[in-house]
Amino acid sequence: MTLRHATMLVARREFGERIRTRAMQISTLVTVLIVAAIGLAAGLLGDDGPQDFTVGAQGAEAVQIAEAARTAGAGFDARIEVKRFSDEARARRAARDGDVDAAVVGEDIVSEDSLPAELEGALQTAARQVRAAQALRQEGVAPDAAQRALSPPALHVRTLGTDDESRQGIAFVASLLLYLQLIVFGLAVASGVVEEKSSRVVEILLAAIPARALLAGKILGIGLVGLLQLALTAVAGLLAASLSGAIELGTDHAGVLAIVLVWFVLGYLLYAALYAVAGVLVSRQEDMQSSSTPVTMVLVAGYLVAFPVLEDPSSSLAVISSLVPFTSPIVMPVRAVVGEASPAEIAASVGLLVLSIGLLIPLAARIYEGSVLRMGKPLKVREAMRAARTARAKS
Amino acid sequence: MALDSLSLAVPDGEVLGFVGPNGAGKTTAMRIALGVLEPDAGEVLWHDTPVTREQQRRFGYMPEERGLYPKMRVDRHLRYLAMLHGREEAAAGEAAAHWIERMGIDERAEQRIEELSLGNQQRVQLAAALVHDPPVLILDEPFSGLDPIGTDVMSEVLAERAAGGAAVIFSSHQLELVERICDRVAIVNRGSIVAAGRVDELRAERSRPRLRVDVEGAPDGWAAGVAGVRVVSRDERGVLLEIGEGADDQQVLVAAGQAGRVRLFAPARPTLAELFREVVER
Repeated sequence: MTLRHATMLVARREFGERIRTRAMQISTLVTVLIVAAIGLAAGLLGDDGPQDFTVGAQGAEAVQIAEAARTAGAGFDARIEVKRFSDEARARRAARDGDVDAAVVGEDIVSEDSLPAELEGALQTAARQVRAAQALRQEGVAPDAAQRALSPPALHVRTLGTDDESRQGIAFVASLLLYLQLIVFGLAVASGVVEEKSSRVVEILLAAIPARALLAGKILGIGLVGLLQLALTAVAGLLAASLSGAIELGTDHAGVLAIVLVWFVLGYLLYAALYAVAGVLVSRQEDMQSSSTPVTMVLVAGYLVAFPVLEDPSSSLAVISSLVPFTSPIVMPVRAVVGEASPAEIAASVGLLVLSIGLLIPLAARIYEGSVLRMGKPLKVREAMRAARTARAKS
Repeated sequence: MALDSLSLAVPDGEVLGFVGPNGAGKTTAMRIALGVLEPDAGEVLWHDTPVTREQQRRFGYMPEERGLYPKMRVDRHLRYLAMLHGREEAAAGEAAAHWIERMGIDERAEQRIEELSLGNQQRVQLAAALVHDPPVLILDEPFSGLDPIGTDVMSEVLAERAAGGAAVIFSSHQLELVERICDRVAIVNRGSIVAAGRVDELRAERSRPRLRVDVEGAPDGWAAGVAGVRVVSRDERGVLLEIGEGADDQQVLVAAGQAGRVRLFAPARPTLAELFREVVER
C-alpha cells in the first residue's frame, strides 16, 4: 500500500467518524446560527433607529427651542418629546434626577450625565435657528423670509467607495471565526493523537501503516471537517447579512470568503503540526492540557493582536504581525478584508506561511515517529527531538 | 538493551509458544518481528529471505496492551483495520462481518467498542488481528484476561489459523495452555533464547528420563542403592526418580520388586512448567 493510499484511508476515517458525532453536528449548527444571527443583527442594528429623548423646557424661548429641536430631531436620529416646566428650579431638578434627558433653562442646557451627541446636536441647531430667527425679526426681516433663509435645502449624502463599516464588521467576524476554528481543530489534532496513544490503538495501526501516514491522514481529515464547517458558517453569515440588508452581496464577498478559507488552510497546517507535537509528547488526555498550552498561547496572542490591527490596519504592528507566520493566519485576513494589505504584502505573508509549514510539518512528523510509541510520563521537547534523531538514523 | 542475539523460527502451519519471565524481551522481539520497532542489529526473515515492510504490514498483531478506538463502531472498526492492511472496501466489509459472526458478537456489531463488555472487547481485538487473513499471526499475551470460554475460542482459532497454513506466535505465562496448544516453544530469558524446539524434543534434550515408582511396603531409602539413580522427590504417589547416564531402568524395577509390591512403574514426563523453571533458574 502506498503512503498516499494509507493517508487517504486514515483521513477518511477521521472525517467520517467526526462528522458523524452528535457533538460535531451540534457545534456546527450553533456556530452557523450564531454567525447568521450576527449577520442579521448587523442589518437590523447597523442603523439602530432613532433614539428617544425627553427634553424639559422652561420659559417661552426655551419651549420654542425644544419644539424646534423636536422638528430637527429626525435629522439627528433623535425622537424628542418636550415637557414644559412652570418654574426653573423644577426643570433643573428634573434634569438632575434624570426625569428628563436634558432641560433648556435660560442660557443653559442642563442634564444629569453628559449630553448624547444626537440630542446636543438637535438642541444646539434648534437654538441657533430660534435665536437667529429672533435676531432677524428684530432687524425687521419678515418672518416668512427669515424662515426661508434659515431653512436652506439640505445637502444630499452620497457614499462612494466601499462601505468601511460593514468591511470592518466582516473583518472582525472573520478574525473571530479563524481564531476559534484554528484553536478548536488544532486541539482536535492534539487530542486525536493522544486518543490513539492512550487507547493504545496506535500499536495495531502502526503494524499496518507508517506513522507518517497516520499523522498526515489525521491532520488532513480533521482539517477537512474544519474547512467545511468554516465554509458553511461564513456562507451562512454572509447570506444572513445580505438578507438583513447590512451588506449587498457582490464579488468582493466571494473574495472575503476565499481569503478566510485560504488563511484557515495555511494557519491550520501550521498549528496542526504544533498541536500534533503537543499531543504526541503525552500519553494521557489529562497531560494534554499542559503540553498544548504554549501552542494555544501563541494562537491567543495572534487573536489579541487582531484588535488593534482592526482599529489601525496600516500601523507597523499590523504590517509586522500580518507577516509573522504565527500571527499572520489571523491578522492578514483582517487587513486583506478591510483592503489595507498590498498584493505584495499578501504574497509575502502567504510565502512565509508556506515556508514555515514546509519546515514544521516534516519536523513534527519526525518527532511524532520517534515518540508515538513512548508511553508513560510526558516527554520533554528535547527528549522527543532526540528520539526523532535516532528514529531517523535507523530508517 | 532488551534483546541480545535472540533468534527463533516458526514454520508455516505451526503454533509457537513464546514464554519467559516478565521483562525477558518477548514484547520487544514481537514488535521487531512486526516492524513496529527497528532492531539495532539483526534481521527478520520470512520464507528465508529478509522480510519487507510491505510483507510485515500483512502480519496480524495483537499487542499486550489491548487497544481500539473506544468510540468507533465494531463493524466499522474491523472494516477500517482490514482496509489499512490492504483489503478493498467491499472485501474488508465482508471480512469484518465474517469475524464478527465467528466471534459470536453479531448483536454487538453496530455498538461502539466502549459499550462492549471486556470479554467482548477481547474478541474484537482478536478479530482485529485476524480480519485481513494474515499469513503470520503474532499475539502478545492473547489469553490474559480471558474467561474459560474465551480461552477455548482463542485456542480453537489459533489452531484453525495454523491448520490454514499461517505461522502463529504467541506469548503467554500460562504454561499448561502453551503445552497443550503449541507445536513448539521458545523460552526466552534476559533477552536471549535459552531453550527452543518441539516440546517433546525439549524434554528429551533438557532433562534425563524420569520414572515414577510406587512400591507398597518398601522402606524409604529403597531406591538410593540403585547405581546412577537420583531421587527427585517423594510424596504419597511414590517417588520420582531421575535415571542417570548409563543407569538402567530395568534395574530399578528389579530393586523395586525386591523392596515390596510394585503398584506403579511409569515413565514421568516433566511438564513445561518444570522445564521452564529448570532453564530459567539455572
